[in-house]
Amino acid sequence: MNVGALPPARMRRLTDMTTFYAILMDGMIYASWLFLVAAGLTVIYGVMRILNMAHGSFYAIGAYSAASLVGWYFSSNGEANPYWSYAILVGCALLAGLVVGFVIEQGLLRFMYKRNELLMVIVTYALLLILEDATKLVFGVDPYFTYQPYSLLGRSMIGELAFANYDLALVGASVVVGGLCWFVLNRTHTGKVLRAVIHDREIAVAMGVNVRLMFAGTFIVGTTLGALAGALTAPSISVSPGIGVEVIVLAFAVVVVGGLGSIEGAVVGALLVGLTRSMAVHLAPEIELFVIYGVMSLVLAVRPQGLFGRTVARKI
Amino acid sequence: MLAYSCARRGAAIACLGIGIIGGTWSAPALARVELGLPATQAQVTIGCLYPMTGRAAIYGKDSVAGIKLALAELAAEADAPRLRVIVDDDRSKASYAVRMAEDFIAHDKARFLCGMVSSGVAQAVSKVALKNKVVMVGTDHASSRLTIEGLHPYYFRVSNDSYTSMAAGARYLAELQKKTGWKRLAYIGPDYDYGHVSWSDFQSNLEHLGVRYESVGMFWPKLYEPDYSAYIQAMLKAEPDIVVTSLWGGDFVAFLKQARTTDFFTRIRLANFDTGGNYEVMLSLGDKPPPGLILSARHHNNWPDTDTNRRFVETFRQAEGRFPTYAAEGAYSGIMAIARAVTKAGGATDMGAVITALEGLELHLPEDPDGFNSFIDPDTHQIVQTQAVGEVVANTAYPPAKVMLGKWTVYGAEDLRPLPELVRSRRAKAAGAVELIE
Repeated sequence: MNVGALPPARMRRLTDMTTFYAILMDGMIYASWLFLVAAGLTVIYGVMRILNMAHGSFYAIGAYSAASLVGWYFSSNGEANPYWSYAILVGCALLAGLVVGFVIEQGLLRFMYKRNELLMVIVTYALLLILEDATKLVFGVDPYFTYQPYSLLGRSMIGELAFANYDLALVGASVVVGGLCWFVLNRTHTGKVLRAVIHDREIAVAMGVNVRLMFAGTFIVGTTLGALAGALTAPSISVSPGIGVEVIVLAFAVVVVGGLGSIEGAVVGALLVGLTRSMAVHLAPEIELFVIYGVMSLVLAVRPQGLFGRTVARKI
Repeated sequence: MLAYSCARRGAAIACLGIGIIGGTWSAPALARVELGLPATQAQVTIGCLYPMTGRAAIYGKDSVAGIKLALAELAAEADAPRLRVIVDDDRSKASYAVRMAEDFIAHDKARFLCGMVSSGVAQAVSKVALKNKVVMVGTDHASSRLTIEGLHPYYFRVSNDSYTSMAAGARYLAELQKKTGWKRLAYIGPDYDYGHVSWSDFQSNLEHLGVRYESVGMFWPKLYEPDYSAYIQAMLKAEPDIVVTSLWGGDFVAFLKQARTTDFFTRIRLANFDTGGNYEVMLSLGDKPPPGLILSARHHNNWPDTDTNRRFVETFRQAEGRFPTYAAEGAYSGIMAIARAVTKAGGATDMGAVITALEGLELHLPEDPDGFNSFIDPDTHQIVQTQAVGEVVANTAYPPAKVMLGKWTVYGAEDLRPLPELVRSRRAKAAGAVELIE
């Protein structure tokens, strides 16, 4: 009677609306997480032309800070209001991102802005290695568990399917982050100045724009977004060494598919990767890992600059 | 003026980035630890490889602590061999581990290799052991491929493999079927050798026991997957009675965390027979574990309730300030096995004699119940041990964990060995495949 999963069953599943909704919801949740991770990476590249290899370390720092502080909050305040743990999650991500971003930008990157993009890849890679070991020195190798914020929100039924409300909140968080990024870039004076810097750095300097300040601000925002992604993920995983390196590969896949430096591209890239992966999990789980990179390869074969990347003539 | 695509250049740099990240674990490790006697005084050098960085670093850390316990015990014995143990970080990368193993042999004159958490890494290092004719003792990886299809004279393993754990699991589920009549089964395991071999071992054991079931889904998340929500939904949709998993470490913890916010545990029983009962998992469950978990591990801090196990756990706790994961007992067993084999063989110069000593070697280990000694099967070079499968119960004796396993069902070692016909058939199939390729 060991019948396994047969092709006709798969065909039936395709027409099953519950499976369709499951694919859609799971894909959206995964895409939200991917976007949160990739947003900081694409913001930094878009403005500064730095492919920040250390972005995964900021994710890890955010996750460790959140997991350790929230863990401490619950273990030392038995009577405390558990809902404050969400403020701690976000607060420590902001603090960690601001501090780490400021120190790295002021202490290292500002001396290297005129260097070649490839050199910056190597510099941020070195930073990744340093931060990985620094994280290990500070937090050790023992895993950190913070399950309370994840389970506290309970779950919701969507049709026959139960979803963790925390995951649904993550979708909301990614919409807020994406919306804010778009609003700042397109509807504020700072955004206009940033776009001028993106368009032509030299002309922006000639027009009196303080490019260094713009770079510092952008890097700190990018770092904080990375830390925020880590902090928001911490309650649903076991936080342990190496988590930053694991996510950065996926984040690269998303920004490459969408087009480096494009927020809209990161949204579409995350959705494409998330939905494709979800479809594979539900319909053909054995090829799930392949499809993520299959999509990336296909997009790059057709549009090497990514879906939203623009081809720009450049002097060398 | 030469125009070219700036964005294409960006994409190329991104691909370079992915390549560099992929190679991150190949960067030189800095974690070499030397234990035991210095080279000038040691009779035997053992080179051990464990992950000291990355997600599995806790297993490396506990393994080092386990090795220290074994060396301390041996130091107190007058006739024990004088050992030097070098431990280094394999970064869970096969290519890196191979290079380090070759360095151990060439530069440190290691006569034994030991350790390894990843089955993929172990398979690569096993080939180094064979090529250099040094003995390798596996302590923490579990793919049964190493002791069946891929076995060679120089490879031995002293912790439960996927076959042993799945044999115990299949027996447990066979008995459960008689009580509950469960029929529908799904599996979720990491998408690498260990996950696939575990499923295959489980199926062959169910078949051997004549258990009739319907397989309603197999799921293969990548190692270190952060989001299991799609898998959980797919499993809920498939409506299995039981889900068997071989997710381990942080992956299993993440799966549990994410599944407990759905109605997964009210509808499905989850079983993890190889690693699910690890102390790290107990710790993560807090004081409100999900219902219906069926778990086991390669060593338990609270089973068997023997002097040897109590002493091992307590000595570890005193030394490290916390309770051990199963990795500690595996590493401890590895060093003890090498020491006893060297003593039995009268030294480590004649590898043939050491291999003969290891084949059938009996050891009394912390996970052995009273009246039973673990022993190494001469045919598979796999240690033969009893296994206890349990359910989660409240237990505050091992803080900070608030639950431990209890309500044990214990399976005798002899029942968990692969039948000689199965071993022959798997080896013949593998040999046939090799011939076909050639």
